[in-house]
Amino acid sequence: MSGWTEDLMNELEESRCSDAVTKACQFTEQVPHVRDLGIQVISVDRGQVRLRITPQSWMFAQEDTKEICTSILYSLADSAGGLAVIARVRELMPIATLDLRMDYLRPANGGLSLLAVATCRHLTDQIAFIDCDIFCEADSELLATAKATFMRNTHGQQFHSDGLKKNSV
Amino acid sequence: MSKTDDLAQQRSRAAESREKCADWKALLERIPYAQHLGLQVQCGDAVVLVYLPCNETLIGNFMLPALHGGVVGALIELTARVAAQSRDTEKRCPRIIDSHINYLRSAKARSTFARAEIVRQGRRSSLVSVTCWQGEESKPIASGQVQLLLPTIAAEQEELHDS
Repeated sequence: MSGWTEDLMNELEESRCSDAVTKACQFTEQVPHVRDLGIQVISVDRGQVRLRITPQSWMFAQEDTKEICTSILYSLADSAGGLAVIARVRELMPIATLDLRMDYLRPANGGLSLLAVATCRHLTDQIAFIDCDIFCEADSELLATAKATFMRNTHGQQFHSDGLKKNSV
Repeated sequence: MSKTDDLAQQRSRAAESREKCADWKALLERIPYAQHLGLQVQCGDAVVLVYLPCNETLIGNFMLPALHGGVVGALIELTARVAAQSRDTEKRCPRIIDSHINYLRSAKARSTFARAEIVRQGRRSSLVSVTCWQGEESKPIASGQVQLLLPTIAAEQEELHDS
């Protein structure tokens, strides 16, 4: 294969991949529960994604405190982990969480946005290993850490762009 | 054991369950996020469960469709919290330290139930194991273990000092 053809092929491959990642971002933001929580995709790099959540009063752990419920951080880590798998594989495919372990280091202040940074540490044919840290966006303090494993290609179904359109709200 | 003893024991168990049921309901009502998700308490003769009716906002994958993994996580964490707080004689509000959840089957878009078992509750901490299922209890969709810290007077004073 001549040099320029190879370059062109690489370029085509790159655009196809980034297309998959764009679709994955759109897909993530269209997931009903992600929409309900108002999770925003901030950035997607190969194997690392950043998601933000802006707290609302219904996310609190208790009526009388302004602390965000740990389960909000849990959902954020699960969503970020799933997107990190797609960002690493660069191919749209259904995935399923096998397990997720959270450590809640500090209480999350209900007045400040949360930032999740998820990284795909390792990939096998079937499994993706994910690390996710959750920070307070304002002061970069680490609030929680997560470790998760995901099963790749569950049900052998593919996400299609027409599926996205059909289901978009 | 005589029949009257048996009956008395059954009655006391039922009374205990009713008390626990009212307790769990009151505790869940004080958690804004539990209210947002729509968590409810379901009371049987001998067992108290947390029940999550399905609604569209809980979906994590609309192609299957399936519940979001985080929704199942929230059901497990909040059930563990209510179970630990209800068990505590002083009804202290526990803080979740960590949780580890295993997903066993796909969570379909339907009602989900959670049952808590307190593995060990000490003076300062509690370990609660929670199992979730949809159709049959013998086919769990997820199970998790949650570690909780029960605040002590010393810890509260320290917090006051910090702030």
